[in-house]
Formats: sequence, C-alpha cells, structure tokens
Amino acid sequence: MSELFQDLVVQMLIGISTGLILALVASGLTLIFGIMDVVNFAHGELFMLGAYMGWVFFTMTGSFWLGLAAAGLCVFVFGLIMQRSALRSLIGSDPLTTILATFGISLVLQTAAIWIWGPTVRRVGAALTGHIVVFHLQFPVYRFMVAVLSLAIIAGLWLFMHRGRFGLWIRATTQDRQMALAMGIPVPLVHTVVFGIGAAMAAISGYLYAPILGVDPTMGVNNILRAFIIVVVGGMGNLWGSVLAAVFIGVLEALAVIWVSPALAVIFSFAALIVTLLVRPTGLFVAVPR
Amino acid sequence: MLKLQDVQAFYGKSHVLHGVSLEVDGGQVVGLLGRNGVGKSTTLKAIMGLVAVQSGSITFAGKDLHRQKAYRIPRLGLGYVPEDRRIFPRLTVLDNLRTGFDRQGASAARTEQLLEQAYASFPRLKERQRQLAGTLSGGEQQMLAIARAMMLDPQIILLDEPTEGLMPRLVGQIREIIDVLRQANVSILLVEQNVPMTLAVSDRVYLMERGAIRHESAASELSVDDDVIHKYLGV
Repeated sequence: MSELFQDLVVQMLIGISTGLILALVASGLTLIFGIMDVVNFAHGELFMLGAYMGWVFFTMTGSFWLGLAAAGLCVFVFGLIMQRSALRSLIGSDPLTTILATFGISLVLQTAAIWIWGPTVRRVGAALTGHIVVFHLQFPVYRFMVAVLSLAIIAGLWLFMHRGRFGLWIRATTQDRQMALAMGIPVPLVHTVVFGIGAAMAAISGYLYAPILGVDPTMGVNNILRAFIIVVVGGMGNLWGSVLAAVFIGVLEALAVIWVSPALAVIFSFAALIVTLLVRPTGLFVAVPR
Repeated sequence: MLKLQDVQAFYGKSHVLHGVSLEVDGGQVVGLLGRNGVGKSTTLKAIMGLVAVQSGSITFAGKDLHRQKAYRIPRLGLGYVPEDRRIFPRLTVLDNLRTGFDRQGASAARTEQLLEQAYASFPRLKERQRQLAGTLSGGEQQMLAIARAMMLDPQIILLDEPTEGLMPRLVGQIREIIDVLRQANVSILLVEQNVPMTLAVSDRVYLMERGAIRHESAASELSVDDDVIHKYLGV
C-alpha cells in the first residue's frame, strides 16, 4: 500500500478525533448563541478554566476522572454566575454590548490565570496511555477515547434537549423567546442554565485536550479561533451543523498537514470560512435539523 | 376581571399607547376594533408584559400585572394567541401544546384532560400531533396557536386577529371555538379587523384610534354601517 494512502488514513483519524473535541467547544458556543444571541468571546477562557480546574483536582487526587468531573462542575457553576451577573441584563440589547462584556471577561480570566497559576505549562496525564498501530504508525488510544467521549456528551445534550420539560423549554426559547415567555416558560432561568451547560462543555473539552496540549493561560485564545470558524461554517445556532463542521474542519486541517506545515494548515480553515460566507452565509449544514 | 387604566406604552422609541383604559369581565367576550397600527396588538402585548409599560395600571383578578415578571403572567390564567400565530415551527404539534401544559403545579390528570379537550375541539391537531408545527397549513397553525393557549387552563384568552388570512369556512370554525370558550366561562379579549364577525361574537366592543380607546358600547347597539364604525374603521 502506498505511503500516501497510509498517511491519508492516519491523518483522517487524527482529523476526526480533533474535530470531535472541537465539536464539544463549538456546540456550547452555538447553543449559547442560538438561544440568547450572545457571541461568547470568553468561551476560550472557559475552555482554559476547565483545563486548570481539572488539573487542580487531578494533581490533588491523582484521578483523571475526578479531574474531569470537577472541570465540568466548577465551570458550570462559574458559567451560571457569569451569565446571571454580567449578561442577563444585556440580553436583547445591541449584540455589541454582550460582545464587549464577554471580551472583557475573557481578558480578566486570562490575567487571573497568569496571576494564580503563572505562565508555566502544566501537565495532565492521559487516562489511557496505549497506542493502536495503524499501518506503521502509532495512534494514541487516548485520542480515540476523547473522540468517543465528546460524541457521547453531545449526544447526551441532544437527549436532554429532546426528553423532559427543561429540554422542551430550551428548544421553545431558542425558537421564539417572546412566545416562550407568553407560555409561562421561565426564560431568564433557561438562559442562565444553558449558559452554564455551554460553559461546562467548553471546560470538559479544555480538560480533555490538556494531556495533548498542556495547560497554560493562553490555551483558550490559541484554540478558540477554530471553534468560532466551526460555528459559522456549521450555521450559527445549529447544533448538528456544528458537529459536522467540526469534523470537516478537523479533517481538512489534518489532511493539509500532509502537504504543508501545521502552522499553515489553519489557512485551509479560513479558506473554508471565507467560502462559506461567500456561498452560504447561513452555514453549510443548515438543512440538518437542530 | 381584567382592567387597564390609562396605560402608556412604547414600542422601541415610538409612543404607541397613549392612555388605554378598558375592562373585561368574567365570561365576557370583548372586541377591540381599529385600523392597522392604532395599537391593538401592542395593548395585548402590554397585558402579557411583552412591551414595557411606562405608566398606568393593568390588573387581573386583583393582581397588578405590571409588576409581574413576564413569564409569571400566563401562569395567573392569561392565554395569548398573537397575530402571526407564532407557533414554535421546529417543535412537533404535541410539543407546542406541551409548552403550555407541561408546567409546575399542574396535575397530570388535569393536563391530560386539557389535552383531550383541545384535541376534541381540534381533531386535526390530534392527527398531526407528531408532525413539525412549521409544516402545518395556515389554518391549522391558527388552531394550534389557540389550542396552545387553552393548555394554560386560562380564565381569559387574548386573541389577536385570529381570522386574518383564513378562508371563510375556517372563520366560521374560529367563531365556533369562541362560543365553546365562552360556554366554558373563559373570557376573551378579541382584537379584529373583521367587523361583522366581531360584532356577532362580542358582548361589548371598544373602538381604538391612535393609541387610545375612542368609543365603547354593547355589541348589540352597533351595526356594521354605524357612523362610529365608519369613523374609526372606514377607509
């Protein structure tokens, strides 16, 4: 079998796994935008905060899984507080106000992380350390685990939204906020909880990424750009669109790496973004039901 | 039961309601007539807490609605059927209905009963309960919007132009529903442009112009070609 074919297969696998981690970040972002029209510029910092929270509990307990739970839970609560205190009163006003507010929060969080934990890169051990041999190359089992876990969390979110009362409230509020109020749905509470869920999803992906990337105060800024590209390519507010777009972008960049340097691969994502905005500004995957 | 006194409200920056006063008693059907853009829909939105009320008072069953959070108002017993129907298009018919009845404090038996009542009034909705609401015809969407408000087990329903864009046969059906609601002792505040229909179903009517009530009388005292009707509704 040709070497190129083997490279293609391996890079596809890497692309899909990266894509699914990104999908976790992006689906939180798109969920928040879809329901409250807030473009959360602090999403990268919630990703970073999750990695730190997880790292703190990981080093305390030595358990990867306790770290994961702590990352999700702490940042969920942080998200609730952040939405309730800084964003609730701005919802429905000019989108620029929430952009400025979340951007301000992102700066505060980044600086706070440097202040508390310093610029050193912290390490989290992967839950699984083995490799699977694909052709002559070793593919880390941990990446498989992360991909499966990300997909499971997104599927869990989908189930939550399609079973039970609160999920119905979320879907109704996303479709028509005023009418949801007129049906007695506690829209402000729904907004706050959805923000918490989106924050927790960012946090969990940040922690899952930690064994691959390391934890440092700039990891949010460095990785959130792709999530924003994905949300636009997938269609703002479209959950499954974001998942498909994330895998698409992940695979696109991974394949690009065969021919160009990893630093240049992001250019392909930007090209996809520009093409999307030119030909289908509402997103490439709008036909997919939410 | 529902009483508005000198309500002033803004829609964005424009002053839409210039002191609206009206009253709906228990079990009554009250019509609110007026040309396009005189503030009829805004009056209903003000009652539901969906537009900011500057001054005046809105009370319902002794409670001051003005001070309530918007999502608490429907729970007090007010159902709202907006003019453009505003069904949730990507929810199924059943889920649309559930947004009303699947709420805190409602017993399972009562919600089941409400759903059965709605399906009895609108058998079409039962046939289509698993279908996405956005795929329904205009008339079916109107039925769904009314059925959804009925799920709140309301004492009063605010109906905003329910016959707009409907075929005559369906207009007749809306009239029947209004009669059914009246028999169930549900009050109705009906905003309409369809004068004959409004005069036929209402106990009392208000005529509105430029953000205020200009005329009030029993529906039986008015006929379609009365001078006041021409003055406030004629072209």
